[in-house]
Amino acid sequence: MKTKKRCILFFLILAMLLGAISFGMQRAAAGMKGGITGRSRSFAAVGAEPRDTLDVLVIGDSESYTSMSPMDLWKQAGITSFDCGQPGQRIQETCFLLKEAFKTQSPKLVILETNAMFRDPGFLTNLSMSIIEPVRYYFPVFRYHNLWRQILDGNTNTGRSVFKGFEIRDKVVPYEGSDLYMKETKDIQQIPEFVLSYMENIKKLCRDNDAELLLMSAPSPHNYNYKKHNAVEKYAEENDLPYIDLNMKTQEIGIDWKTDSYDKGDHLNLRGARKVTAYMCGYLTENYSLPDHRGEEGYQEWDNLSVQFFAEVDRRNTNAKK
Amino acid sequence: MSYDSLLYVALFLPLCLAAYRFAPEGWRRRVLLAAGYVFFWMLSGKLLIYLLGTTLLVHCVGIWLGWLKSEEKAAAAGVRGSERKAVKAAYQKQSRQVLMLGTAILLGILAWLKYYNFFAENMSGVLEAFHLPFTLEEKSLIMPVGISFYTLQAVGYMADVYWGKIKAETSLEKTALFLAFFPQIMEGPISRYTDVADTLFAEKPLELSNIQNGYIRILWGLFKKKIVADRLAVPVAMVFDHYTSYSGVVTAVAAVAYTVQLYMEFSGCMDIIIGSGELFGIRLPENFRQPFCAKNAAEFWRRWHITLGVWFKTYIFYPVSMSGIVKKWNQYGRKRLGRYVTMLGTSAMALLPVWLCNGLWHGARWSYIFYGLYYFTLILLGIAVQPARDRILTACRIREDSRVWRRIQITKTWVIIFVGELFFRADGFRAGLYMFRSIFEDFRIRQLWDGTLLGLGLQKSDIAAVIAGCIVAALAGMIKERGVNIRERLGESRLPVRWCAYYALILAVIIFAAYGDGYQKVDLIYAGF
Repeated sequence: MKTKKRCILFFLILAMLLGAISFGMQRAAAGMKGGITGRSRSFAAVGAEPRDTLDVLVIGDSESYTSMSPMDLWKQAGITSFDCGQPGQRIQETCFLLKEAFKTQSPKLVILETNAMFRDPGFLTNLSMSIIEPVRYYFPVFRYHNLWRQILDGNTNTGRSVFKGFEIRDKVVPYEGSDLYMKETKDIQQIPEFVLSYMENIKKLCRDNDAELLLMSAPSPHNYNYKKHNAVEKYAEENDLPYIDLNMKTQEIGIDWKTDSYDKGDHLNLRGARKVTAYMCGYLTENYSLPDHRGEEGYQEWDNLSVQFFAEVDRRNTNAKK
Repeated sequence: MSYDSLLYVALFLPLCLAAYRFAPEGWRRRVLLAAGYVFFWMLSGKLLIYLLGTTLLVHCVGIWLGWLKSEEKAAAAGVRGSERKAVKAAYQKQSRQVLMLGTAILLGILAWLKYYNFFAENMSGVLEAFHLPFTLEEKSLIMPVGISFYTLQAVGYMADVYWGKIKAETSLEKTALFLAFFPQIMEGPISRYTDVADTLFAEKPLELSNIQNGYIRILWGLFKKKIVADRLAVPVAMVFDHYTSYSGVVTAVAAVAYTVQLYMEFSGCMDIIIGSGELFGIRLPENFRQPFCAKNAAEFWRRWHITLGVWFKTYIFYPVSMSGIVKKWNQYGRKRLGRYVTMLGTSAMALLPVWLCNGLWHGARWSYIFYGLYYFTLILLGIAVQPARDRILTACRIREDSRVWRRIQITKTWVIIFVGELFFRADGFRAGLYMFRSIFEDFRIRQLWDGTLLGLGLQKSDIAAVIAGCIVAALAGMIKERGVNIRERLGESRLPVRWCAYYALILAVIIFAAYGDGYQKVDLIYAGF
């Protein structure tokens, strides 16, 4: 009995130690904003946003943060949005990133880019991710443990996410394939079982936090096809979720694959992202009652950032013309 | 799933412990065996068939040898004198043939999978040189994980049964577990049957002290692997993969860094492996004993990858030393060449196959063969100069055990080790030679502190972590070298002190290990052998 009690006490103290260090590190990470690099950046960046200021969260893999420009959305409709995506985001990360965001934000809408729903890195990696993500969530020391390096190396402000998760990528590498990459078929690509179970968690999270969930597929001839479209459409129908596949609307949006692709049709560049954002802005204002925060108290940072963003965009456009 | 992964430490091991704990009496061994096969399957999938085949073969050969032994006993009991000798000789010949058959099959599989392409490539080169119209095509052969390790264990087991050191195992389950105990599968240690049989098959119930000690050792292994070795992998790969771009101090530092990386990784993994065994009360043989305290190359190999050295000594060095040809050489040499030359010749004849095999065991590359022959030459040279060296030391009144002389010897051994590891890691023998030569070109000592090393992919923080980790590991090694068992000593200390030490180790691994953002997973080096 004495041994059992000792064991419990040992792990209790360990949990407290980890909790205390985690608390300190999370505070430090929020303070460092852009100082956090790699996969933890999205977690730290969204955690660093002023409480309850974001109305739309865009989540998913690289397709998400290369398609939606929060500054454009702000300028056009005063909607406060944030790109929380990560490169090659796994569904476990999607789920826990959302959980993390809901700690400090009360978004009215979560836009989930659907490419991440088809990512299956294999049984062992899935198992590993399913263990590590909850551990990182409850003990952020496991996520931010490398902070000491940045403090020691003195680079605490590198590559700060200045445009609410959106990076300006103006390179143009055209997509040379057919514009009709969405060839109609009745085939359905299977959504992996574990993704479906995590989708349940994501739906519940949104429900519990009074946020609507919108499934969105960003234009990407490299990643998307009709089989995936069918799968998400079926899933959306079965789960009573709205779904918008922008791959089916590229003409409406005005995507020109010769000028709007960043890397041969894998991701959109700045031009493509701005077109998609303009389209999505119309869609959002039409279908959701999202507040216009322009001119409101407490949102000056958005105006300032917007000025910086468009100045940078203009500078790049001028350089491109030269 | 490797031994340093979260999956292994935080899921696979606890699941195995739980299954072992709740398994009914008599089923614990089966739990370990099943865990071994699951582990192997996860790493090599269908190639598990090789391990199963090896197990069946070894078990049958063992029983066959055992049966021949008992038959020999029974047949010899009824006869006397020369007839008895003849009966024994006949049975021994049969036993030898059985052993040869088993060994040939196992080594044949290993040779086919591991060395065929090397043979084909070199043979084709020779044929081409002679303008012969044949080539041996290289094949895409996939090796099951740990084949180099379990094959040696299997051969050792059969030889031990043949020599009568152990009785043939009648339980297939035990033979299977001996070859497939999961902590040993990827990197050894290469156990002899007598090393592990008493604890491996004991089915001891779990004990808290074992679990505590086991996990402490696992954490210590993770400390070495994740804090030091994984960080050093970056600059080492940068220099060795682009060796023509570097020279002088940078190449020398890379050789030292690789040696430290290899030691920290391999010994760290051994800590995880031996610690994993300890969780179940199973004692696995040690593979390292402060190798950097060695005074010469021979002693280094008695402290580094000990089980491989012991295997070669037991199953190659001794049999060759006792072979007819060496005996004949001894007789001839003593009569005509004198004791010194005879001893030198005997040593060379017994050591050459050992070091050739040592080099080849690591892989099918000329640089590995060179690595083996490098140590063969150094050790033989050590034996050759021993008498002269002793005379000089006596004449100069230098005591062998004096601190200064010891330091000089250790420093000399370090240089030997670093040069050896440079060739070992280099991308082929020519690359090794190029790198070795380049050390002496453009040697600027200030590159050590002028920031050049920071251009090798490590930040200041990484270098600080590596240095701190090395200091801690060196201190622990020095204490162990004095015969102090740190874990035991810690276990005897007062609870707050003990717990503080445990927490410090756990937190050091969690905070300072090279994982997460900015780090790539580094594969286990020895798992590739």
